[in-house]
Amino acid sequence: MLEIKNLHVKLADEDKTIINGLSLSVPKGQVHAIMGPNGSGKSTLAYVLAGREDYEVTDGEILWNGEDILDMEPEERAASGVFLAFQYPIEIPGVAGMTFLRTAVNALRASRGEAEMSTPDFLKRVKAKGAELNVDIEMLKRPVNVGFSGGEKKRSEILQMAMLEPTLCVLDETDSGLDIDALRIVADGVNALRSPDRAMLVITHYQRLLNYIVPDQVHVLAHGRIQKSGGKELAQELEKSGYAEYVGRAA
Amino acid sequence: MNIALTRTKAETALTEQFERIADALPGDARVLDARKSAIGTFASLGLPHRRIEEWKYTDLRQAVKEAGTASVTAGDASEAMLSAALGPLSGVDAYRLVFVDAQFNADMSRVPEAGVRFETLATALSSGEFDVASAGLRAGPSATGVVTLNTALMTDGAVLDIAPGTVLDKPLLIVQLKSDTSSTWTSLRSQIRVGKDAQVTILEAAVAGPDAAIGQRNHLTDIRVGDRAEVTHVIAGMQDGDTVLVNIVSTIGEASNYRPFFFTAGPTLVRNQLAVEFAGEDAKFDCSGAFLGRGSAHIDNTLIIDHAVPGGESRELFKGVLDDRARGVFQGKVIVRQIAQKTDGKQMAQALMLSEDSEFDSKPELEIYADDVACGHGSTCTEVEPDHVFYLRARGIPEAAARALLVEAFIAEAIEKIQHTDLADALGDVARQWLRQKAASTAETL
Repeated sequence: MLEIKNLHVKLADEDKTIINGLSLSVPKGQVHAIMGPNGSGKSTLAYVLAGREDYEVTDGEILWNGEDILDMEPEERAASGVFLAFQYPIEIPGVAGMTFLRTAVNALRASRGEAEMSTPDFLKRVKAKGAELNVDIEMLKRPVNVGFSGGEKKRSEILQMAMLEPTLCVLDETDSGLDIDALRIVADGVNALRSPDRAMLVITHYQRLLNYIVPDQVHVLAHGRIQKSGGKELAQELEKSGYAEYVGRAA
Repeated sequence: MNIALTRTKAETALTEQFERIADALPGDARVLDARKSAIGTFASLGLPHRRIEEWKYTDLRQAVKEAGTASVTAGDASEAMLSAALGPLSGVDAYRLVFVDAQFNADMSRVPEAGVRFETLATALSSGEFDVASAGLRAGPSATGVVTLNTALMTDGAVLDIAPGTVLDKPLLIVQLKSDTSSTWTSLRSQIRVGKDAQVTILEAAVAGPDAAIGQRNHLTDIRVGDRAEVTHVIAGMQDGDTVLVNIVSTIGEASNYRPFFFTAGPTLVRNQLAVEFAGEDAKFDCSGAFLGRGSAHIDNTLIIDHAVPGGESRELFKGVLDDRARGVFQGKVIVRQIAQKTDGKQMAQALMLSEDSEFDSKPELEIYADDVACGHGSTCTEVEPDHVFYLRARGIPEAAARALLVEAFIAEAIEKIQHTDLADALGDVARQWLRQKAASTAETL
């Protein structure tokens, strides 16, 4: 269970509050969507969950399975099962995707006290996951995300997610920059990972993604806090009426 | 302006040592005369210092406080010592010419059987035919102080003649293993003639046994690359704490392809200087390097590229990792003479700074007298990208490992320029070991 309580976040080097009293719970086995207009704090929430340093939490807590993750380093959060699928996956020249993924898999295994996965076992597993998710693993021979199309980057994120088997998946605007076919592949990948042991937080601007990844609950984020929560029909409502109702209103 | 020079302790010691060992140095009377003339020049010039433009970042007079004993002999060495000193490079299947301290060691060497004529410099100097002066003339005036010292004190080296058309099946490793437990100043000189259409990979490595004292090496290699020949030439400095002065003097023939690579990890004071003259049209010169410095290391890579004929192509890529107070220097002088039309030159020097106190001085110098050329240069100086580190950490890779992975990737881009895969892999391993030493020493202090 993910519990965010009264979260307040500002930019680390600026006096600008972005998240302003956000509370939210996502039980295991459920998929929750966060929708909101630009600048509402969606991506900030994603980064704060993953532990990016550019933000400062001034109040509130984030509990994952009862443990406060705010004191944890990004790698410790990853070890406790947190995974952020980036809106803009980072390009890393010189580091082959295969090396990166194997290092990550083995780092997580080491954190659990497990032995390193052998190279043949790793390759077997990557191939199997790639086939399952309909992702061409040839791209792992190239440097991480370098020169990838938008769709390739997102597919690569989903493949990483499948390999690392996180228990809390945060997907930040995974639909941005995708055409309909790529969107379907990515959504199928996410759906394949739905499980009773896994909580998912899907952050999106548009309702479109939620036709493919059907959420248990939808939350509307504006002005740094949740303005409204409801079932999947709330997303359809937003599609019709837009965010005007939330944008104009003071927090 | 006349500057009254007071000789430093090291300069005086070197001049005096010449007097002491002159009779023990190899060569006929003609060579001895050349040595005497050279030490005379050195005595008047001294070690290069910052008032000489090409040495403004690397003041040898200031940096070389002591000179080790000019060595003329070889200490005890074994195959096991050599393998350990070479580290990952010992796994590369290669011909070997082994020099222990100041002398050739035939027992540990494996000379190629066909296509290569080899004799030691000591033998060549006594033959009456060796051209002592040529290398110094082609090295250019900025090298004079260091080259004359090499001429005066040179004891041995490899004199190689690679027959036209020879395709050597394995790299040729020319290695100097230091074993002396007292500090020595060694001076080796090699001369390599690569015949037309030949293809060779040469690795020159400076390494040391476990008990060898820190010292100085002043080595010169004179290489001529024949028409259409293809040469990969790796120069690796690997002894911790050493002072290494390298001069590579090269002349490349028509449509030849010369690929030097400078690798430095360990020595604390390094000047790698390469002069290349394009002697035939349409030749390619692709020079690169990887330098790793920590502590108070000072690593200088200086290139003088002379496009003297039309149609030449030159490429330079140097990448360095600098930690603590380490300082990197890159100087790339490219001369394009008036007749050298259609010259194509590109230069890039990049440093990754791991510490606030590290320094990188990068100086491109393009002297272009022709009007139909394409020449460019660039230089960057960066820290490890925080976004990259975060991305790796977000996937569970601990910070130290994430940084190591990124630094390794940075340096790997330079090492990939070595086309011989085994050699590139081995130097990649040496670089990784060097980088991980740092991770280990940081962990200890935490």
